[in-house]
Amino acid sequence: MHVWDALSSESKIDFSAGENGRKNTSAIAYMTENPNLTRALLARLESLEPISSFENAKVTSIDLGPPQDSPGTLNLSSYPHVTTSSSTSPLVARLLIGADGINSPVRTFAHIPTRGWDYDRHGVVATVRLASRGGSHSQIEEAPKVQDNVTAYQRFLPSGPIALLALPGDYASLVWSTTPEQAARLKGLDPADFAAMVNAAFRLSVVDVDYMSKMPSGQVDELAWRLQATDVPREDETKYPRIIESVQEGSVASFPLRMRQADQYVGERVALVGDAAHTIHPLAGQGLNMGLADVASLVRAIEYSVSHGGDIGVQGNLEAYESEMWMKNNRMLGVVDKLHKLYGVSWWPVVGLRSLGLGTVDKFNGLKGWMMSQAGG
Amino acid sequence: MALRHTSLRNFCLLLRSQPHSRSTSTSTPRSSVSPIELSHFSALASSWWEPHGSSRLLHLMNPLRHEFIASCLTSHPTASKHNTKSLRYLDVGCGGGIFTESAARLPSTAKVVGIEPSREVINVARAHACQDSMLLEPGRLEYKHACIEDLALPQKVEEQFDVLSLFEVLEHIEKPAPFLAKCLPFVKPGGWLVLSTIARTWTSWVTTKLVAEDLLRIVPRGTHDWGQYVNERELRGWFGKQDGWGRDGCLRTMGVVYVPGLGWRMVERGESWGNYFFGVRKD
Ligand SMILES: Cc1cc2nc3c(=O)[nH]c(=O)nc-3n(C[C@H](O)[C@H](O)[C@H](O)COP(=O)(O)OP(=O)(O)OC[C@H]3O[C@@H](n4cnc5c(N)ncnc54)[C@H](O)[C@@H]3O)c2cc1C
Repeated sequence: MHVWDALSSESKIDFSAGENGRKNTSAIAYMTENPNLTRALLARLESLEPISSFENAKVTSIDLGPPQDSPGTLNLSSYPHVTTSSSTSPLVARLLIGADGINSPVRTFAHIPTRGWDYDRHGVVATVRLASRGGSHSQIEEAPKVQDNVTAYQRFLPSGPIALLALPGDYASLVWSTTPEQAARLKGLDPADFAAMVNAAFRLSVVDVDYMSKMPSGQVDELAWRLQATDVPREDETKYPRIIESVQEGSVASFPLRMRQADQYVGERVALVGDAAHTIHPLAGQGLNMGLADVASLVRAIEYSVSHGGDIGVQGNLEAYESEMWMKNNRMLGVVDKLHKLYGVSWWPVVGLRSLGLGTVDKFNGLKGWMMSQAGG
Repeated sequence: MALRHTSLRNFCLLLRSQPHSRSTSTSTPRSSVSPIELSHFSALASSWWEPHGSSRLLHLMNPLRHEFIASCLTSHPTASKHNTKSLRYLDVGCGGGIFTESAARLPSTAKVVGIEPSREVINVARAHACQDSMLLEPGRLEYKHACIEDLALPQKVEEQFDVLSLFEVLEHIEKPAPFLAKCLPFVKPGGWLVLSTIARTWTSWVTTKLVAEDLLRIVPRGTHDWGQYVNERELRGWFGKQDGWGRDGCLRTMGVVYVPGLGWRMVERGESWGNYFFGVRKD
């Protein structure tokens, strides 16, 4: 993993496997595309017998159950009743798990407030195809042979970080955090210009990137011209990701970037996991990892409750999950928020300190190891 | 009894300090429970299931009760695994049903009977069980407004129980020995009598008498009958004299300590500090 700062060439940090203190690991982290993960999870669900799933169904309302008919009869007044667009009668939940994202309807039902703020930034995502080193783009002749597409690259631009994460084959996943205006412009570019813009963002100076991003079109030619004028030393070529050849059709999207933390993760017959409980700036790629850790912790709480005769919907039996994860996630939210703020500044004293920061971290393997084990989840 | 502040009530419960006095009057000739005890628990009835109410510490302790019972059931050399619906429980002094409900939910349970002398409290237990369809399955959970003396003696082994539980009951009983004797016939051969209570030690005297009554005044002076607490050694001695109990080392004790911030913890050989579990097997 190679991370650097666009405003200070001194400021860089390299992570490689084996530094994270784990024995026998050959990689810092693995990247997997969301559709692959989703497909595998759905296949697993299907193999578990008593699970019913409702496809293409939207939750339209969640209400508490009706009051008890008469003493001695079943009383479901504390149970959430979930109405969906595909069913006629409501689904009655002993425990309703809200894994329903940042605008969680389950969280709204449970009256659980959240705290946080919106970054004035959008995340532009895309899946891109990489040219081989020294391949089709003549500017980069005979670049040294390096390990195939396994390195992650992240460059901090003043408007936000741009990151390219390796995927199987010649593909990579792009996450570019930038201003809402620039995100809109990027989405409007034709695919070739979009690819050129991303190549520019990893290689050119901040001034060049800025200029090109304001062009309505013609980034392909502009990049070719500017790269000729930019002297990229050969041995430094591995410091940049491979040239992006094309953009996968339909993969470009953008999301507003926000930071949120729910006051509570659990309520009576309700538990929140993933982005419903917390939303994080994507610069460290932690969002999904945090959600997966939530689920593992919630499962432990449920297992304990079941094996001790507890009612899994009762808040007291879910509190172990909240006490395990809330502070942990809060710390991660804080660290990533600080990183975002730190790199959103182009005032020179901060840039200087920043370069000292990354340079210092680069020299201490222990600290790097910690950061890597966090990023690897 | 008029303690309003929840944390004080919690503290009070932690110390097992429900007001009880050695009343000379008796409720019914057959009852081992004094009317003062009864009215105290009736007053607490409504808060039994409040998550932060006066019974919070009992809710928190409940999982450990199951762990202790499981350790008892598996300790005998001939113990078989109870995976299927096979175990029958009698929960004596079941209160609002904290343990009773949880026992009824376990997959290894066939039936649970909870008995409780306070009408208000048993009604709370009955009403609460209505919140779980599983507990309403016919034959799974039955509540009786009764003392142990009111139950008909079992005539055959199928009417007896694999586990007879007395959780936080003994310290409210004026004469524990005859009360325990009345419980014994309900246990199946190979079954267990399991209880939790508080020891009469200098530590429990300091926490319940000196601190709670004299220094903090969170309970009225004279509330506790520290002299009524029962020590593990006394129980061990008493059961040693009963024929047909506790052979093959099947008499087990375990201290249980509340650590603020951590919760209840089982502590081996901690039975003389305060709260403890005690289990004994019928041969
Ligand atoms: C630009 C960007 C880049 C990111 N990059 C990374 C990365 O590299 N690595 C990483 O780990 N994380 C990344 N994340 C974060 C990651 O995407 C999220 O953390 C993750 O998707 C959260 O999963 P979730 O299941 O909790 O919520 P979501 O993915 O938001 O899923 C919520 C689901 O609930 C459904 N839903 C909502 N309301 C209803 C309703 N009423 N009825 C029925 N269904 C409903 C939605 O349709 C949706 O499918 C990134 C996020 C952004 C914005």
